[in-house]
Amino acid sequence: MGLRSSLAVAGARGTTFVLRNVLRRNASQLPGRVALAVDPHVLSELAKKIGKGSVVVCGTNGKTTTTNLMARAVEASGEKVLCNTAGANMLAGVTAALVPGRSCDWAVLEADELSTIRILPELKPTYLVLLNLFRDQLDRAGEIDHVQDVIVSALAASPGTTLVTCGDDPLCMGVALRAQAAGTKVLTFGIAEKLDTAPDRVPEARFCQKCGAELEYSYRHYAQLGDFSCPACDFARPALDWRATSVHVDEHGVSFELSGLRLDGPSKITADFGGTYMVYNLMAACIGSLLAGATVAEFQSAIDGYKPANGRLQRFDVGGREVILNLAKNPTGLNQNISLMLQDGRRKSAFIVVNDDYNDGKDISWIWDVDFERLTADPDIRLVAGGHRANDVQVRLKYAELPARIALTVSEALEEVRDTDLSEPLYVLCNYSALWPAKAELESIGARL
Amino acid sequence: VKKLTIVHLYPELLNLYGDTGNIATLHKRCEWRGIPSEVVPVTVNDMADFSTADVVLIGGGSDREQRIVCEKLLAQQKELSAWVEDGGALLAVCGGYQLLGHSYAMGVEILKGLSLVDLYTERDSPRLIGNVAIESPISEQPVVGYENHGGRTYLGEGVEPLGKVLFGHGNDGTSGAEGCLYKNVVGTYIHGPLLPKNPGVADYVLARGLEHAGMDAGLAPLPDVEERAANTVMYDRLMNGEEKE
Repeated sequence: MGLRSSLAVAGARGTTFVLRNVLRRNASQLPGRVALAVDPHVLSELAKKIGKGSVVVCGTNGKTTTTNLMARAVEASGEKVLCNTAGANMLAGVTAALVPGRSCDWAVLEADELSTIRILPELKPTYLVLLNLFRDQLDRAGEIDHVQDVIVSALAASPGTTLVTCGDDPLCMGVALRAQAAGTKVLTFGIAEKLDTAPDRVPEARFCQKCGAELEYSYRHYAQLGDFSCPACDFARPALDWRATSVHVDEHGVSFELSGLRLDGPSKITADFGGTYMVYNLMAACIGSLLAGATVAEFQSAIDGYKPANGRLQRFDVGGREVILNLAKNPTGLNQNISLMLQDGRRKSAFIVVNDDYNDGKDISWIWDVDFERLTADPDIRLVAGGHRANDVQVRLKYAELPARIALTVSEALEEVRDTDLSEPLYVLCNYSALWPAKAELESIGARL
Repeated sequence: VKKLTIVHLYPELLNLYGDTGNIATLHKRCEWRGIPSEVVPVTVNDMADFSTADVVLIGGGSDREQRIVCEKLLAQQKELSAWVEDGGALLAVCGGYQLLGHSYAMGVEILKGLSLVDLYTERDSPRLIGNVAIESPISEQPVVGYENHGGRTYLGEGVEPLGKVLFGHGNDGTSGAEGCLYKNVVGTYIHGPLLPKNPGVADYVLARGLEHAGMDAGLAPLPDVEERAANTVMYDRLMNGEEKE
């Protein structure tokens, strides 16, 4: 390591020490910023201490859960792993994750889609896992076309990286085909059978990525994910390298059989959380683990020991009522949460919290792209709106013929549904900046389940 | 029985900023008043029939989609223009608003617009992004929403703006004008979407559509408690120290 990089890393370590031991703060980003300020290319130096390889995970929804499960599984196989578990996924967060220790076997890193262009050329990871692409934060991220262009450029700047992506997602395949044409090796995964889940709206990507014709589906799982093909050209779901079959999704969680590369035969994977979207996250996490040398059994043990601690499907008991906290930060995320609630056979309430801080995107027009109308299928559901844009959520629900009260906090929301039976859970669905205060509040007023 | 026909142009292409919210608002506000109405979505593979339309909505899309839509509509320009001159109620938001004029810009390219209203759009950087509030003669409450556009739109003489900018950027970032009003056409950069929490604008568009349909345009008042609250909360926030993007 050169003098400049050594200084950069020393500065980062000093910062970490001060943050953790003096200020008692989380050291997920600042050490990375310090290191980058000293040496903008410190990440390429830090990459040299990775012995076997690295996996970068990006995609609109599911990054944090996928990355954490993958890191745990690879660790369970006996490897030393570095990971940005706290979800700090820009260049500084990724850099900070690689500061600790002299060496590691694998790095498993979550990356913001637009940050791939800064991370990939420096890190040159073995694999880039692209989970999905949904519309998210138009005011900040821009249109999906732009996000695709950025990922294609990032892969072009890291020619040795293999792209592992969702073959069911036409938008991911749009990226994959362009990257493949430029020489990137591509592997794909998908759900290879029709599910008996209720369909939602297709918010984007109805059109062929090559010729613009409207895509056809032999079946669709949710949003634009499914067995698609273009009636006018050869753009279609590829022959999948990994396939999920015997997929079962209900209120108790998900199970499926995964078959494909590095597997002897169909291998069963189960989790007691999540809906259809989680099948994709689990597939991607398992595939990344297999590629890093772990076994399906080691991956399953990682799931079994996984207690989400980051506000993703975290369950609490508050005064005898179950409260389920989950992140929902864009239309597809909220639509999947609506599916989860509809799969839950119990009577229930939901507290829908939307903030418009910079990290959330200040434009909340996306709430009109959420299919709240589906909730009218549950005539007993009680709804409460929250967050800085609680009033907008309330109006949105009103136009779906769903009356809602407004609450400032989870406690107030619980108060609004106090007259319902304690056996009826409250779902708390928050976008990004709303998640942390809700989580802190639940940790203080409730007990983890 | 007479009914109000609401034509939604190319919802599959122009849906960038929750445009379905504008349609849902028009439809529900008819339903709540017992006014028969029908929403007719027109896809790019269909040919729009303006002879039966009372209200037409054109939303916003990405550049690529805006171009497809414009080419499609240019083929029906005469029919659409006659319908506008005849008092049809047209609501055009964001990309749709730019199409109303003589020309609009995409990168360095200047494209021919529909020339329904005397205005034109150039492109400049930076994009004008952020919350917006305007004072408009068609709405009792201020109109609030969100804007995100690279275009700078200039109105011809005799074309009124939809309103005066109280917060945000508006048509060009400097003139203080936002949107356009011409005959029964409302053009605006305001999405968010526009109509749900601006019931004054929604009812203006509905009333003009009902007149065009030859139906009673005296709209029964609705309580609008939630809508007004959402409007007021945002307006107060913007007027009390919100940082402009």
